[in-house]
Amino acid sequence: MSGVSTAAYVARRAAQKERVRILYRRALKDTLNWAVHRHLFYQDASDLREKFDANKHVEDIDTIDRMIAEGEATHNKWRHPDPYIVPWAPGGSKFTRNPTPPAGIEIVYDYGREDND
Amino acid sequence: MQSVRNSILRHMRLRGSVEQWFYTERGNMLRQRLMCLSTGANHDQIMDRVVGLVKKYDKIDSSKVTETADFQKDLSLDSLDRVELVMAIEEEFSIEIPDEEADKLTCCADVAKFIASGARSKTAES
Repeated sequence: MSGVSTAAYVARRAAQKERVRILYRRALKDTLNWAVHRHLFYQDASDLREKFDANKHVEDIDTIDRMIAEGEATHNKWRHPDPYIVPWAPGGSKFTRNPTPPAGIEIVYDYGREDND
Repeated sequence: MQSVRNSILRHMRLRGSVEQWFYTERGNMLRQRLMCLSTGANHDQIMDRVVGLVKKYDKIDSSKVTETADFQKDLSLDSLDRVELVMAIEEEFSIEIPDEEADKLTCCADVAKFIASGARSKTAES
């Protein structure tokens, strides 16, 4: 019985670690989106890191869950409406701008000039 | 009649030469772009850039950085440090790394492999 509960505890802790990692990743990206200048971002990023590090040693599993939920709620509230997307990624400004021609089609660069020279 | 023909022919020739110039220009541009792409996909150069970036990260002892040093075990980073490092890599190479992929990148060689695979698919696309 205790083996089962230990396994459940470990699984829950792993899920929490994953959630915190993804929350931190999104929050850090959003910090960069909100920052108008790069030098403002550095201060905001270290503040964000301090907020995460402050609760590093919390052991109680339910408290951790509550804290993660709070953090996610705060992040959802302050999410950037127009985040930066890498131009080539889905949603970016260059996404599928130059699609690959279908297979079997080749480009003739001297088309129409064959008999002129 | 002859003069009209001559003038037209001159015009044609002129256009031909302009076209030729245009085509060689464009060919050069294409060649340059291809060269740029092929150097971008060069695995050693990607690896150098990744290692240089990881060495610049201030929580890492830069003398310990090697191609296969594990970020978490050998370079003593915690999970949030790794998130920061992955974000720095994303900005350096202007790529987007999905959340689930970001967890799997544990050493410089992994990162370089991931970037090279992304670059290859992009080269195939364009």
